[in-house]
Amino acid sequence: MAKELLHYSSLPLFLKELATYGDVHGPVMTDDNVPSFGRIDSPAKLRLDARRTLIPPKKYLMPPRDAVLTYSPDRGYRQPAISERKIILFGLHPCDLAGISYLDKVFTAIEPDPLYHERRRNLILIGLSCEPDDYCFCGDVGTSESSLFDLFLHCTDEGYRLAVGSPLGEQIISGISMLLSECKPLAYSRQACTIERKILDAAACDETFPDSPLWDDFAARCLSCGACSLCCPTCYCFDVREYGCLGGVTAERLREWDNCLFADHGMIAGGINFRKNRRERLIYRYQHKYLGFGPVRGIVACVGCGRCRLVCPVGIDLLNFFREGLHEKPS
Amino acid sequence: MKSHREPASVPLSATITGLRQLSTDTSLFSIRLDDGGAARRFTFAPGQFIQLSVPAGGEVPISLASPPTDNGAIELCVRHIGHVTSMLHELNVGSRLGVRGPYGNGFPVIAWQGKNILLLAGGLGIAPLRSLLYFLLQHRAEYGDLTLMYGAREPSALLFKDEMTELSSRRDMQLFLTVDFATDEPPEGLICHTGLLPSLLKGVNFVTENTIAALCGPPALYRCVIDELQSFGFTPDSIFLSLERRMKCGVGLCCHCAVGELFCCTDGPVFRYSDIRDIKGVL
Repeated sequence: MAKELLHYSSLPLFLKELATYGDVHGPVMTDDNVPSFGRIDSPAKLRLDARRTLIPPKKYLMPPRDAVLTYSPDRGYRQPAISERKIILFGLHPCDLAGISYLDKVFTAIEPDPLYHERRRNLILIGLSCEPDDYCFCGDVGTSESSLFDLFLHCTDEGYRLAVGSPLGEQIISGISMLLSECKPLAYSRQACTIERKILDAAACDETFPDSPLWDDFAARCLSCGACSLCCPTCYCFDVREYGCLGGVTAERLREWDNCLFADHGMIAGGINFRKNRRERLIYRYQHKYLGFGPVRGIVACVGCGRCRLVCPVGIDLLNFFREGLHEKPS
Repeated sequence: MKSHREPASVPLSATITGLRQLSTDTSLFSIRLDDGGAARRFTFAPGQFIQLSVPAGGEVPISLASPPTDNGAIELCVRHIGHVTSMLHELNVGSRLGVRGPYGNGFPVIAWQGKNILLLAGGLGIAPLRSLLYFLLQHRAEYGDLTLMYGAREPSALLFKDEMTELSSRRDMQLFLTVDFATDEPPEGLICHTGLLPSLLKGVNFVTENTIAALCGPPALYRCVIDELQSFGFTPDSIFLSLERRMKCGVGLCCHCAVGELFCCTDGPVFRYSDIRDIKGVL
C-alpha cells in the first residue's frame, strides 16, 4: 500500500501548498467563456472539467509577442531579463505535457534558446489524467514522455492518485503528506488507439499521400486563417519584427507567433513566394506535423489534443489522410 | 559597447567602415565588429551568411561577399529591396549595426581541392560567389581551372565592374560576362556578351570531368542553367547551389526556410543538386 491518494475534497489545501512555490495557473473560464490557462487565485476558479483550453500551454514558454531584444545606442542589443518567479501549471493533460516535451526538443536541438530555457526552468508541471472525446486521441504518439511532469494526478473513483516525476515533485508531496492516504497500486491500462498506429506507420515511411484527392479538397476549403496552427501545442514557428520607438533612437525586437498557412510565410525579398497557394502551405504543415524538419525530423509532432480539428471553421482534418486507409499493405 | 559576453542570440555591435555604390540599387558595405576579441573569433567559410541588424529596422540574412579574414572585417553586397535593406541604404560610414553568425554550411571548399571550378552567378548571386572566388584565388594552387561566368540584366546592373576588369586580365582564371539586354554601352574595358547565362555556356568549351559547378542567382536562373549544365555532362552531384529562403532566425527554429525536410539556414544554404532535385518546389 502506497501513501499517494489525495481525496478530491483536499484539492483546495493542495493548491494552497502549491502556491508556496510560485503562481499557480490552470484551466479557467475567461469572461467570454473560453477555456484558457490562467492564474488560479481561488480553487473555485479552476475548471478541471474543461476538456481542453483553446490556446495550449505553449504561451507560457513562447508568449505570442515576446520582446527578445532591446536596442539602445549606448548599450547596443541586449536580451531583456526574464521573471524568475516560478509558475505552477496545474491540470496539464498528457497531450499538453507531450506538447511541452516536443518544444523542449525543438528549442534545445541546435542551439539552446536562452529565453525558452529560462522560462522552462521556471515552470513546475502538474499533470492530470483525462478521457478522450470525439476530437482527441491518446496513445503513444507524443504522449509517452511520462517523466516530463513534476507530479501527475490520476483521477480515480476514490480521489487523485499522485505519481511523482521529479525530485521537486517529491518535495511537494512531502509537504502534503498529512493530506494523503494509502491506497492499492493502480492498474494502468493503455488505451487502444487505431489512428495512432496509422500515423506512426505513415511517418516511418515518409508518407506524404501525394496522390490523395484530400489535398485539393482541403486547399479549396482552407481560409488561411491559421487557427489550426495557433492552437496547436507543438506549432512554434515565429516571425521576428523590430519596432523603433517614436524618438527613432531605441527599439524593441519582438518574436511573434507566425503561421505556415499565411500567404507570406514562404515569401522572400523581392516577392518570390515558395509556397504561393494553400495546397503548398497545407503540405508544408503536414510535413512539419507528421514528418518533421531539421533536427526533429522523424518525431511526430501531433500529440492528439484535437484542437485543430475542433477550431477549423471549414472542417479540415489532416487525420483524414490516415483514416483513408491508403496505408494498407497488399496481402 | 558590450562589457560582457552575451549569448549568441544577441547581435554583436559592428560599424560601417566603408561604402561603395555598385549600381543604382546595390551597394557594398564594409563592416567591422567593434569588439576586438569578437572580431578575431569571427571566422567563416565562403557561402555562409550573417543575420544583419539595422537598429530600429530589424534583421535580414545577408551573404558574406568577401573572403574570410582574421580581423573581423566583412563585406556585404546588399540590394535596396525591402524594409530593412532600405533603412541600411540610408546609413553612412560610422553607423552602427548588429551582426549574428556566421550561419549556414558554406561551400565545401576543402572537398573541392584538386578540382576545376566553374562559378555561375546571376544578378545579386555574385555576392556569395565573390567570397568564394577570392578564397579560391588566395588558395589558387590547390585548385584546377577556375572560371567565373556572371550575368546581369543590363550593363548598368553589372556589379563590381572595376574588379571584373582586374579579373579579366588575370591568367590564372577565365572570366565571361553577359547581360540580358544590351540597353547601353558595355562597361569600358570589358568584353560583355548579350544573352542569358545558358547561351553564354553554349559558347564555351568545358572539361566537365573533375569539374564542380557552383551557382547562385534567382530561382529562374537555376532552372535553365542546371538543364544546360547537365546537357554538357555535369552530373547532379557536381552541381552546387546556394538557395534563398526567408531565414528569420538563422538557427533552425523559426521554420520559414524548410526545403523538403532540410532547413536552408542550418543544412544549407549551399546544397548539392543531387540532394535536393527531387524536392517539389525547391527551385
